[in-house]
Amino acid sequence: MSIAVQHFTRTYGTFTAVDDLSLQVTAGEIVGLIGPNGAGKTTTLRALAGILRPTSGTIAIGGHDIAADAIEAKRRLAFMPDEPHLFEYLTVDEHLRLTARLYAVPDFDARARALIDELELTGKERALPGELSRGMRQKVVIACGLVRDASVLLFDEPLTGLDPIGIRKMRATIVARGRAGAAILVSSHLLHLVEEICTRVVIMDRGKKVADGTVAELASRAEAAAGSNLEQIFLKVTGRE
Amino acid sequence: MLNASFYIAWCSTKNRVRMRLRRLREPRYLIGAIAGIAYFYFAVFARAGRQGRRPGRGRSEDRGFDPGSAFQIAGTSLAGLFVLCAALLPWVLPTRSKLLEFSQAEREFLFTAPVSRRQLLLHRIVRSQVASIIASLFVGLFAAPIAGVGRLRLALGFWVLAVTINVYSCAVSLTRARFQSPVAAVRRVAWVPIGLLLACVAVVGSAIVRQLLQQPPASGADVFVQISRVTSAGLPSVVLWPFVAIVRPPFSGSVTTFFPALAGALVVLAVVATWMVTSDVTFDIVAGEGGDAQATEGRKAAVVPRATAIGWTLPLTGRAELALFWKGVMETLRAVNIKSWRVLPPILGVLIAVVGASFGIAGDQRMRGPSALLTALGGMVAGVATLLGPQMLRLDLRSDFLHLDLLKSWPLRAADVIRGEMAWPIAAVSGVAVSAILTAAAFSGAGLPNVPFAWRWSVAFAAVLAAPAMIAAQYTVHNAATILFPAWVQLGSQRARGIDAMGQRLILLAAVLVSLVLFALPGAIAAGVIWLILYRFAGAAVLVPMSVVFAAIVLTEVLAVTELLGPAYERIDVTSVERAE
Repeated sequence: MSIAVQHFTRTYGTFTAVDDLSLQVTAGEIVGLIGPNGAGKTTTLRALAGILRPTSGTIAIGGHDIAADAIEAKRRLAFMPDEPHLFEYLTVDEHLRLTARLYAVPDFDARARALIDELELTGKERALPGELSRGMRQKVVIACGLVRDASVLLFDEPLTGLDPIGIRKMRATIVARGRAGAAILVSSHLLHLVEEICTRVVIMDRGKKVADGTVAELASRAEAAAGSNLEQIFLKVTGRE
Repeated sequence: MLNASFYIAWCSTKNRVRMRLRRLREPRYLIGAIAGIAYFYFAVFARAGRQGRRPGRGRSEDRGFDPGSAFQIAGTSLAGLFVLCAALLPWVLPTRSKLLEFSQAEREFLFTAPVSRRQLLLHRIVRSQVASIIASLFVGLFAAPIAGVGRLRLALGFWVLAVTINVYSCAVSLTRARFQSPVAAVRRVAWVPIGLLLACVAVVGSAIVRQLLQQPPASGADVFVQISRVTSAGLPSVVLWPFVAIVRPPFSGSVTTFFPALAGALVVLAVVATWMVTSDVTFDIVAGEGGDAQATEGRKAAVVPRATAIGWTLPLTGRAELALFWKGVMETLRAVNIKSWRVLPPILGVLIAVVGASFGIAGDQRMRGPSALLTALGGMVAGVATLLGPQMLRLDLRSDFLHLDLLKSWPLRAADVIRGEMAWPIAAVSGVAVSAILTAAAFSGAGLPNVPFAWRWSVAFAAVLAAPAMIAAQYTVHNAATILFPAWVQLGSQRARGIDAMGQRLILLAAVLVSLVLFALPGAIAAGVIWLILYRFAGAAVLVPMSVVFAAIVLTEVLAVTELLGPAYERIDVTSVERAE
């Protein structure tokens, strides 16, 4: 199991952000994580990335516990947050190089070249983050995540700030990585994107998992009308119809 | 619109106070608040109490410091003359009033609302009152020699003075902008206040000159006596009245003199405020059409980073610490450009002045000449770099906490990250300190001719070895504080406000100083033992092995502490890191 979350709970003081969440993502799966604001999606992704420690429960990446065996677990994953935080004085190329060094990426030059082309960053290699648009900075973060062969990819709102062409390319990139065998967890409010690219969907609400399955399975369980789309299912499952 | 302005000011203040009170439920803020209040108590009230209990000195305002008397002694007309001179400054110096700077929220809410420019000016006056009132209360609180109602009078008087200064500065900014107007009538009006002010200067100045020519002063003090005499009577006293009126209330010694003085100051404030709001015709020129002139200027003035080629490509294999060291070098060298060096001449000027002045005070003939100056300057720079450098150059975890999410997602050992983050600033500050020590040593032959060669160079070598170790120790302490108390650490340029945040800073400062002493103690003891054993045989040269041992012990401690900090780093809760209000 590439991602194995068992009874994960995370609290902030008296507030429980995620409550007893269990989920699995296997290699080649693209799982959509959706839910209303404050549902606990970002907390879950940040805990999976080793940024937040679970209050209780366990999280394993590629069989390595993220708390007990953090380095091995982190080696296998790439987390692409929604807010692109880059080092102000490092160029695009240097961000990729630094990432390659920290993750011991072989064949860096060829990979970097291909990624820069794929994400349409050509000509921006020597630009500093301050010279890039938000969408471009988001692409740099994604490039840093993809420059290594991570077996687990975590995307938090990957399309934020991207232009229509960028969105299209990013969709293709995520699908291609999934087909190549990566286990992918995508958190997004863009339900049509999730419906289109994800093989399975997990719906969270108020810190709890309220549904898990393919769109067809969710529709069946939610007793939604035949031909219902994910948005209709989501509204029904979360009781916001 | 005024109602809306009061509503914004009231709600913002109320919610800020509520938020600060609510956060006291967290121990980190409660402890900070207790420390801050204790500091205030001992620094202000207890001191005032002690002064009040001293024999021969009463608490009563009329028996202690009497500001009214002091004001009379200094000369009310001299104070008015000082204010008149100060009133000329905003015309000469190109500054823009703070009242014409709008926040992002103000720009987005008010500039899109059906609100006139005049109403926006009134809004800014209302909004600025919270800060003016708090500042005035602090002035009243810290005026230890004054007690009771006297503090309140001082605060009230100071508040009216502060508001008048703010409004005057804004009115000047708006009037000055009239000269940029394409309309001739608008430009002509700008000459009215300038003409009035110049007339005041001419009346007072000519009276002073006449007096000094007729009766040349016998001494420096006599100059002030004569100026005070000539400006206290006749036309000069009439001309100076508004300038005297605004400074009279804070210095009123009793209730009977305070209220008439306050009435006079309020009249002046009303006139200046009317002038300001009727100058709204140039609002867009000064504040910008969207109220964003300040933000635009800030962007222009900001140092724009450039991706300059440094000539060092990061190898794709090697230790993590070196990768972080490389990152620090890139960040520093790119952040530094010609604009950044603007601060250097004033710093060097102050240093040279201090060193030169200390030579003058010492009057020691042995310490004269350029060599002596360079020796002393080198020593001073080395001392400042060693003791203050780690507090000033914060290119370690303290600045990279902004990227904590990213750092924590890297597959690196925590100790490697900590050491890597500290490596570059340690090297940079040590480089400055060692260069300064060697410069001082190189010129010490001529600068300190009476000190033997062996002592001069032994001290220099010892310092070259010990300074980097002390710098590394300080960086370790600062980064340990960052890791162990992430909630109390100032991130980047942000600064938490409030008495609790002040208390946190005081506690942290004390903890850092104590930790530093503990860090240095084992090495200092070992070095002391070496001194006792070897001094009689080696003489001055004993300093070198002493510093070798000292540095070795301190650096071993640095390694050990960074390893021990690993688990704490892993446990850092990024959500506990303080965010700006």
